[in-house]
Amino acid sequence: MLYIHQTYCISPQQDLLQDDIERINEVDDKKLLSIEPSYEKIPPGILRRMGKSIRMGVGAALPLMAESNAIDGIIMGSANAGMDDCVKFLNQIVQYEEGQLTPGSFVQSTGNVIAGQLALISKNKGYNITHIHLGLAFENALLDAMMQLNTNPSNAYLVGGVDEISPFHYNIETLAGSYKKEDISNKNLYGSDTEGCIVGEGAATFMVNGSADGAIANVKAISTLHSTDKDLVKQQLNLFLQKNLPVGSTVDLFLSGENGDKRTLPFYEANETLLADDTSIVRYKHMTGDFATASALGLWYACQFAKTQQIPTQMFKKKASKTIYHNILLYNNFKGLQHSFILVSNF
Amino acid sequence: METAALKEQLKKQIIEFLNLISVKPEDIKDDEPLFGEGLGLDSIDSIELIVLLGREYGIDIKDPKEGRKVLTNINTMAAYIEEHRTK
Amino acid sequence: MGVVSAIGNSVAENHEALKAATCGIQYKLDLFPSKYAGILPFGQVHISNEDLLKTLQVTDLGVTRTSLLALYALNQALADSGISTETIQSFDTALIGANTVGGMCLTDELYNDANQKTDGSDYLGSYDCASVNLFLQKHFKINGIINTINTACSSSANAIMYGAMLMNNGYAKRAIVGGTDSLAKFTINGFNALHILSNEICTPFDEGRKGLNLGEGAAWLILEKEEDIKGRKVYAELTGYCNTNDAYHPSSLSDEGDGPYLSMQGALKLANLTADKIDFINAHGTGTENNDQVESRAMIRLFETPPAFASTKGSIGHTLGAAGAIEAVYSILSLVHQEVYPNLHFNNPITAAGLTPVTTYKKMPVNHVMSNSFGFGGNCSSLIFSKA
Repeated sequence: MLYIHQTYCISPQQDLLQDDIERINEVDDKKLLSIEPSYEKIPPGILRRMGKSIRMGVGAALPLMAESNAIDGIIMGSANAGMDDCVKFLNQIVQYEEGQLTPGSFVQSTGNVIAGQLALISKNKGYNITHIHLGLAFENALLDAMMQLNTNPSNAYLVGGVDEISPFHYNIETLAGSYKKEDISNKNLYGSDTEGCIVGEGAATFMVNGSADGAIANVKAISTLHSTDKDLVKQQLNLFLQKNLPVGSTVDLFLSGENGDKRTLPFYEANETLLADDTSIVRYKHMTGDFATASALGLWYACQFAKTQQIPTQMFKKKASKTIYHNILLYNNFKGLQHSFILVSNF
Repeated sequence: METAALKEQLKKQIIEFLNLISVKPEDIKDDEPLFGEGLGLDSIDSIELIVLLGREYGIDIKDPKEGRKVLTNINTMAAYIEEHRTK
Repeated sequence: MGVVSAIGNSVAENHEALKAATCGIQYKLDLFPSKYAGILPFGQVHISNEDLLKTLQVTDLGVTRTSLLALYALNQALADSGISTETIQSFDTALIGANTVGGMCLTDELYNDANQKTDGSDYLGSYDCASVNLFLQKHFKINGIINTINTACSSSANAIMYGAMLMNNGYAKRAIVGGTDSLAKFTINGFNALHILSNEICTPFDEGRKGLNLGEGAAWLILEKEEDIKGRKVYAELTGYCNTNDAYHPSSLSDEGDGPYLSMQGALKLANLTADKIDFINAHGTGTENNDQVESRAMIRLFETPPAFASTKGSIGHTLGAAGAIEAVYSILSLVHQEVYPNLHFNNPITAAGLTPVTTYKKMPVNHVMSNSFGFGGNCSSLIFSKA
């Protein structure tokens, strides 16, 4: 069992615990860019080298690590951390024809640099790993933490997911047809009948351990799947719920990763048919945008809802009769191939 | 170029090249160590500064250890540039 | 098991080459045009991309060399294990792979696509590291848990660890684990910019060492539980593992080697073994001044008198994301055949450490082998394999 005790989020939207929970920040040149904090806890000598995903990942983790006495490991999930530095270095290779090159970008370009920098700054010599499996990078990080806690329930881990809109990565994904071609407001995302999503970015981190005392929420189960068959995905979700929902319980809230792309909508619609009539459906990607580790922000929202039981009206796809949210089911898919189910509860 | 002007230019180049976001040229004293204490640069920075010397001044330092001696402070860097620059 | 490297295209070929002290590192690089071809030594796999595509009968567009090497080795491992297609596609079969290069071996295509200089090449979906395992998922129709790990040079050691953890926690019944990496202008220039490539063939643990040589390759292992073996052949048992961080510098290890020391110590603890039970260490031994010195220091700290040890990077180069897995295969070969393979090109011990690796092939009793991988970002991993 994995208990979440603290969370932190850097996203394109405001902190939901502040007043105006109905406000939605809008796209800027087709992108939902993160609102970055001032990163006081990152030493300037280290901050100067960091690309955006690195400083978001580190910046979202350090506040949690400062509050905790000791953590036993750092587990990160990121699909394209360091990608921007990777292409910067590549551009140097081309520009200077493999001549004398500055190594700074190369050192910052490996996928494990966030977890590595966190260990360096906090002098943490424990378990340290980076999962990079694209749309399931965060889910694998979360599963890793669950397994670590299963073996050592008295340990504590910092788990996180982060990705940025790197200009180079954006170019590649645009060419691949991942994003909306037309100009569209994120406020009208789900009404769209076209292919593509709105790109976003952000970081969400969680301090987790094996103790229920004082926890915000607990992650009861997680399951991942690769499939392009919506009926198979629905079947697997059904099995997941049968196996993991306590007897006599139902899903109180369905937190959906629906992203406005008509190609992936059928998966969400199929899964929604499994829900009881009195289960509400809430969406978040009009706020976060879509990216490989957006589910980390989804989990952050789930934690806020589990703790405060308050959900902005603008996030509801369907507001049903249940207003007490104990069991929250998150379903997300990335590019209609990588699927995840996460069951969260506040007991 | 006069030595004082070279040192001023060098400080600006170092700040830009290493992205020293919180440092201004006037913060760097000419005889202050660049590595360890002082400005607190590290081994990756020393390699980057050797590349800087190559690109801006046409100076080719092959051995990183030799390079560290040249990079002791602004004074040593400026003196080396004046003696060896090809640009 | 399955493996492809600069010293052989199969487990058998690698085994013979290790016994014969074959060096697969040459002043040869003909995969792509580079200023360093013929200038720097590399451990290139002796199969061209065209031959890989033909042999593997891959007709998909946009498949990178990294993926092709992975498939080449995985085909061998699956055939060797005898598991059926149905079992491969079972929901309880996991695939955990590692690599650090992904599609970055395609410098020109990535440059053009990333800078939007074209309408998009066939490789748009292939640049990231996960693309390798997504290609394998599609090729074999794998339905279980799939993951890609990147912790620099310790990546595939962590993949092996993650697969074992999935099995121990009931998330998988069996795990296909391994790693791959191909030579790339990106890594060649990156390591060269850090001044840690040697312009001579590398000499791990030698006082006069000048740096590492890059290599490429892939290796996979099939992990299964004891109760599921049912009379099929078993190569070895994974008895210990540990992952730690050195927390000192982005691209070098601390003088005292806390990260390496703690990962080795942790692996022993999990295996319930005392240090003296380790018969042989397959060392990380890259041939850089920093790694070999620190690794020696950490071995002395933990073992006082370290057991027989050797690095195979003088044979195949540093295969980055594939290193942990390839070296796991080599460690297992030691256990199966009760022998150890030499650390090539060694002349004199590092003065500060005074350690001499194994320098000639020899038969000897081997019950427990430790395999170490230490990487950028301070990531340190140790695995222990024991005689089955």
